[in-house]
Amino acid sequence: MKVPEGCAICQSTWGDYWAEVEGQRMFFCCDLCETEFRNMIQQIKQRTGWKQIDEVQITGDHRGRECTALSDRGAYRFFIRFNSQGGIETFQEK
Amino acid sequence: MWLNKNITKKKCDPQTLSREMMGYFDLGREDLKGWMKKRFVERFYGAKPHPFVLALQHPSKPTLLGYVVEHQHFLRQWTRSCAYIVAKTDKVDVTLYELDNINTEFGGFGPERPSHYELLLRMGESLGLPRDQVLLTPPLPDTAWAIKSWNEIAETSHWLETMAAMHPLELIANRNLRQDGATVSYFDPSILKGNEVTEATKNFLREGYEADVEHSEEAMDLIEKYSPELGVIEDVQATFMKSIDAFDRYLMARLERGKQFESS
Repeated sequence: MKVPEGCAICQSTWGDYWAEVEGQRMFFCCDLCETEFRNMIQQIKQRTGWKQIDEVQITGDHRGRECTALSDRGAYRFFIRFNSQGGIETFQEK
Repeated sequence: MWLNKNITKKKCDPQTLSREMMGYFDLGREDLKGWMKKRFVERFYGAKPHPFVLALQHPSKPTLLGYVVEHQHFLRQWTRSCAYIVAKTDKVDVTLYELDNINTEFGGFGPERPSHYELLLRMGESLGLPRDQVLLTPPLPDTAWAIKSWNEIAETSHWLETMAAMHPLELIANRNLRQDGATVSYFDPSILKGNEVTEATKNFLREGYEADVEHSEEAMDLIEKYSPELGVIEDVQATFMKSIDAFDRYLMARLERGKQFESS
């Protein structure tokens, strides 16, 4: 899966936190971003029925992120915001 | 996360980071009050104003209802935090300031001058939301998290840090902030005229619009006055930054609650 450079959620290059997500070793700035990323991927899969996601594009900040998930079945756009524990606070399909 | 929000997302060497952070906290030619205003404007009224502020320019009914439901919890904590300051300080001017503030925000000055809390509940009623229902609604998780942060500061920190955590937040409704670089005001003042919002909404918004200039300025003058004497300038700056993080998230919770009213 192709993800933004730096931390897969916030694109920060601080930190040295690595975790395996979807069978891939990924860099995050912190464990909170890892939790957010896992929850986001789970939500995309649940809503689209996709088994595999090829790429996730993310722009925005802690107040909310505009995202596009890509797979061989097309593009899925959404807005997401997380709560202080990394859970999904808002998820809006575009 | 703090570095991402306030300094840079790009990893840098310790010397560069040290320089950047010193620059961030350095008061330079400014006083502490000016520094707090600058950081507050950057966060809430800069190139990307806070989404709640944008929604409040010409507020929808759900936005206002979200404001009512979450803000009741904020105001209760407000009073608690101010009470901690009164309990801990030995400065008479601070005590008098806090007592007046508690009455303005929560206690009221009799039927002629209801508190901000009472005006908030009346705004809810004017929009069809009974106060019983408001009072029975628990805070959203982000509001609860922010309140916990403020309560911990009040319980464990110096009273001057508690002042710095709470009172600069009143800058949010300070109509003079445009002079300090704010790109918009808290709401479009034109809504105080005409019929765009209810009279109770106007009364609530007008109260903050008029009171919060004096409140925030006077409190920051006291913080400015006592910080050097008590040797807590850096602690005050750090606590202020922690508090505006909590406030940012709390304002998002107001919007989140508003969305619940949109869909109900």
